[in-house]
Amino acid sequence: MNGTSWVDIPRGWITAFGVTVKFFGKILGQVYSLRVLRFFGETLRQCGVLILGSTLVIWSLVFIVGLQCGIEGAYFTRAQGAPAYSGVFAAWCDLREIVPYGFGYMMAAKIGTGIVAEIGSMRITDEIDALEVMGIDSVLFLCATKLLASWMVLPFIYMASIGAGFFASYLAVVVQIGEVSSGGYSLIFWMFQNPPDLLYSVIKAMTMATVIVLVGCYYGYHASGGPVGVGTATAKSMVVNIVLVHLIGMLGTQVFWGANPRAPIGG
Amino acid sequence: MMILTGKTLVSAVRPPYPYGGEFVSQFLFTLRLCWFPLLVSTVAVSYGAPGMQAANFAILFGALDRLGGFFVLAVIREFAPFVCAIIVAGVAGTAITADLGARKIREELDALQVLGVDPVKNLVVPRFLALMIVTGLFDVFAIIFGVTGGIIATLVNGAPLGPFWATFFTNASTTDLWGSVLKCVLFGAITAIVCCYKGMTASGGAEGVGRAVNQAVVITFIGVFAFNYVFTQTLLATHPEMQVIR
Repeated sequence: MNGTSWVDIPRGWITAFGVTVKFFGKILGQVYSLRVLRFFGETLRQCGVLILGSTLVIWSLVFIVGLQCGIEGAYFTRAQGAPAYSGVFAAWCDLREIVPYGFGYMMAAKIGTGIVAEIGSMRITDEIDALEVMGIDSVLFLCATKLLASWMVLPFIYMASIGAGFFASYLAVVVQIGEVSSGGYSLIFWMFQNPPDLLYSVIKAMTMATVIVLVGCYYGYHASGGPVGVGTATAKSMVVNIVLVHLIGMLGTQVFWGANPRAPIGG
Repeated sequence: MMILTGKTLVSAVRPPYPYGGEFVSQFLFTLRLCWFPLLVSTVAVSYGAPGMQAANFAILFGALDRLGGFFVLAVIREFAPFVCAIIVAGVAGTAITADLGARKIREELDALQVLGVDPVKNLVVPRFLALMIVTGLFDVFAIIFGVTGGIIATLVNGAPLGPFWATFFTNASTTDLWGSVLKCVLFGAITAIVCCYKGMTASGGAEGVGRAVNQAVVITFIGVFAFNYVFTQTLLATHPEMQVIR
């Protein structure tokens, strides 16, 4: 080990970070300046891909975690001696935490790795270079359209998946465990949430979605090293995405609900 | 996939055991890859979800000391295994699929078979065992760091830690702990089987490997969460003493 080797490692990280941020900035700038509308047809095609390919998987994962929230809530409130209040647990658990996390995981797994696999294989078969030769801005055509498509489609998919989570919790608490009546559950459940909570939840999930699409584009666009490289890039993007999803989840909770629990309890 | 599970289990116990070295290297590989994401994620998740939200709720009732009791339920029973499974599936599982998929499309797996080396015994079994053990052990770390998240939440709210530990340890039970670890071991098994299967059946060049990783991680997540639901429900229903708040 000579003197410079340990400096090189953090320097490499900082360089990689800078390259990443520059790439993200480029994509965001292209969407923000509406240059992406030149490829609106491609954007619509990406929307179609998202809707047909990912909706059901995301909903089913959120449905399963909703069930999970329901049974934990029902057993926890039963232990406290207040089974009628399982709605509180379900409302907070679903809307504020678990549905965004479940959505983020499935986004990372399905859409993030899908993007890496698609763009990465285009990169190593030289299709991206071919695009450049044809005079098409490849970042604009491949990455910016995907980002715009996800912004157009995902808020709706997300809100529907919140619905799936709510329905699953209702099934678990009222139909499966059955210690609270349907009306009693709904009363408490709706009392402990309001439209701003929904808005915050959507903001949290959309931040996750944006980051995941950007990370996927980055790893796909910079893939190298043949078929093996695509697989490795896909695996690496998953690591980054998972850590980022958890960090965004935590920061979102801290920002939106950290100082103000937004609960209808006096005091 | 079921056939692969059966084959793996049979060849794991049948006498010649050539997979020792591969097992150790896979074990270390998973450990090296996963420890940092696991650490960050567990602290973040348990500070955010159960820590902050439950602390807010408990403060409204002036009962922040009950947070420790809640953390037994939240972290040991739910979030620690859950985050473990996500990290191992997302980090180690994808790496395994990418690795095996690359070997498959470079026809290395066929070459192994021609040489008379059984790919299931030499590649799948060590990964299967390594992931099971690593996930189980990671669960312990996930619990420790999850509780660290709870400690941060308590300190942020300016409360002393004594009551947190008091309610934590009076509510914690051995059943909770072994349930959690067992759950994680089985998550590791699901991850290993799905990821090995998808890697070994990859086809179609570069895009094929990427697509295999994509499908593997989606199937693993759905499988793990569905299994988690069934397991937690069974455990809670068969061990009513776990639900008593002390």
